[in-house]
Amino acid sequence: MAGFVDKLLNIDRRWLFLLVFIGVALPIIMPIGLPVTTTASTRDAFEFIEGLKPGDAVLISFDYGPSSAPENDPMAEGIMRQCFLRKIHVVICALYPLGGLQLANNSLAKVSAEFPDLKYGEDYVNLGFKDGAQAVMKRMGDDIVGAFPTDVRGTPLAQIPMMKSVRSLRQVGVVVTVATGIIGEYWITQAHPQSGVPVIVGPTAVGAPKYYAYLNAGQAVGMLSGMKGAAEYEKLLAAKYPQLERFYKSTHAFTATKGMDAQTVIHFIIILFIIIGNVATLSQRAARRKAEAR
Amino acid sequence: MNFEFGRVALVVLFALLPVVGIAFGFFVPALRARGPLLVAFFAGIIPILSLYIPKRFLSGETGMRPRLDQWLIIVAGFALLLGIVNVIQNGTRKVARREKGWPYSVVLLTGLFITGGLGIWGAVSGQGITSLPDGTGTPFKWIADNFFLPLQATIFALLAFFMASAAFRAFRARNTEATILLVAGILVMSGRVPLLEFLAAPFPPLQPAAAGASQALGKLTEWIMQTPNGAAQSGIIIGAALGAASMAIRLILGIEKGYLGLGGGE
Amino acid sequence: MPHVDLGTWIAALLTLFALSFLYKDNPLFRFTESLFAGVSLGYYIGTTLNQTLMPNLITPLAHDFNQNWDLIVPGLLGVILYMRYLPKAGWVSRYAMAIYVAYYIGLDFTRRLHGEVLPQLARAIVPLSHLDAHTIFYSLVFAAGVFSVLIYFFFSKEQDAVTRRVARVGIYFLMVSFGAAFGFTVMGRVALLIGRLNFLILNWIYPLFGIK
Repeated sequence: MAGFVDKLLNIDRRWLFLLVFIGVALPIIMPIGLPVTTTASTRDAFEFIEGLKPGDAVLISFDYGPSSAPENDPMAEGIMRQCFLRKIHVVICALYPLGGLQLANNSLAKVSAEFPDLKYGEDYVNLGFKDGAQAVMKRMGDDIVGAFPTDVRGTPLAQIPMMKSVRSLRQVGVVVTVATGIIGEYWITQAHPQSGVPVIVGPTAVGAPKYYAYLNAGQAVGMLSGMKGAAEYEKLLAAKYPQLERFYKSTHAFTATKGMDAQTVIHFIIILFIIIGNVATLSQRAARRKAEAR
Repeated sequence: MNFEFGRVALVVLFALLPVVGIAFGFFVPALRARGPLLVAFFAGIIPILSLYIPKRFLSGETGMRPRLDQWLIIVAGFALLLGIVNVIQNGTRKVARREKGWPYSVVLLTGLFITGGLGIWGAVSGQGITSLPDGTGTPFKWIADNFFLPLQATIFALLAFFMASAAFRAFRARNTEATILLVAGILVMSGRVPLLEFLAAPFPPLQPAAAGASQALGKLTEWIMQTPNGAAQSGIIIGAALGAASMAIRLILGIEKGYLGLGGGE
Repeated sequence: MPHVDLGTWIAALLTLFALSFLYKDNPLFRFTESLFAGVSLGYYIGTTLNQTLMPNLITPLAHDFNQNWDLIVPGLLGVILYMRYLPKAGWVSRYAMAIYVAYYIGLDFTRRLHGEVLPQLARAIVPLSHLDAHTIFYSLVFAAGVFSVLIYFFFSKEQDAVTRRVARVGIYFLMVSFGAAFGFTVMGRVALLIGRLNFLILNWIYPLFGIK
């Protein structure tokens, strides 16, 4: 028994890697379809956008990169779909230097293709990327053109019809920051107190624990945390909009809901690892104490 | 030409003053440290004062602070690329001296120059780096979509494996604190996903009970996140913010000089 | 006829090369790692030049110099930053660095106080006069947590018998928070792997073999 425990504790970690690989791959190949339950912070975010009127503006800031795209892309795309269905104007920007622009372009292209009757410049606009996040937010608080003189393709904002009524953050109904790292915090701790604009935050799971403090203090009106938060949002969208229910059921593209099966399996595997590791160590210690007592 | 007060004041403070400081600095070495600290004071104090002094010369549309925001967006762009010079220097030195691993430096420099070159071409030609007017992607976009995005995603995805390995080998309930940490971690991991429904999936009679238990676990997880976690994070935020604010004052007043490469005696 | 375009092939092969590190360190992984570094830096150059420097500096100066003449100054400051690489005149870059760092520190100062200290302190001031279940499980625990954590982080004075006990409670709150953070970190890291394997299986292998 002691020999087995020793072998177990010193197992080549590549076997553990293989187990993790299988744990993620199998649910992708054979989906389970586990249920998703919603939390208050996600429902608050959903209801806030539901409370906006057609013609109001939502700013979606892509403050993440490819390193968290599986969690953040579904959040941004879900919110865009909700806004497009409710005829809410969408302003896109990216403040994360390592990939934010690319992801913003790709997500906008993907979702806008699902709504061919909406027009660029009248229903949505892509401002592109800008360096210096804090300075950009400061400037946008007074005058968006001061930070973004043109859109992503170089068209001056003065020539874009939608931007005539969205001159600063004060004319934006809510800022949705889909974030990895500190830029999401900047929206909450700088842009919100200094311009008064409400903020919904969609952090990665790694950053989410800290955002609970901001949520508690009322500095954010809602939060979608990690892939689970994105899956919750997809569930709320499907419940409210039948066309999105059909879309999420039939699409071959990656959605957060599909990813939750693999999340569940891996959580089970890791909890098992922790329990087995601790039990094995305790049994090893007990065996050593017995041997020493003899 | 537009000679609004804000612009002129900024040019005086951040162009004329540094020019005078640089000119004198060639002859008076002591000014090489003092001059930047004086300029730093103004750069730091303007955003702070503009929040509390609602005067047009400072925070109005023609005031100093809004224009300074626009200036620093531009400077941030240059600053982001600062490290690239270092990388190119190190890479070319490695290749020239055929140091260990030099072929990989060739790969790095090739990737850098091709991608960067396409980005520069996009700017010079007016094509940009996203899509062309006919809807097709630019070469920069192709490289970004097929090289940059998958590479970034995969390198970070490796962490999942190391995390699992660490969970097995290193996470031990050695003392009270570690036990609390582990128990909280396990509760949160179980409550955030439908784990009990997954375990009950092969046993249909247990599924309603599993669903109920899963809901309760979810509520417990939310309480952990909002209350003890929220409280701890709140305390950390307050403490860190006070520390950072006092460091900011030290830097603006010139007491803290390390960021300029200056020691205590300079 | 199953079809996978060149871009997907490249992305899939690079993904496999990177994952090969899990078996052992090898030249394919080293190649991928170096390519990643180079392409990332090139990406920075393209994005910053096209999205910041062109629209915010070069185009305004070129098209309307009279309105934007002052933008020459941040342009020059940006260039001066690079003088740090000159052995004899590196000290000149201190001016640009000073302005850049001090400005963002000034912004951060107001952000910390307005956006962090004041709202978080306001949240921590909770009513404790009415000891019902909600007050005990939410408000009391929350207030005790914030207070004890702040006591734990107070390093300016040596802790006595009372503060040491309160700090211990703070440590327990911190351990709960770190445990929760660990749980969330697992979720976050695994999500990346899910995304990558989803791409490999559904976007590369399935189309390659004509599986729907």
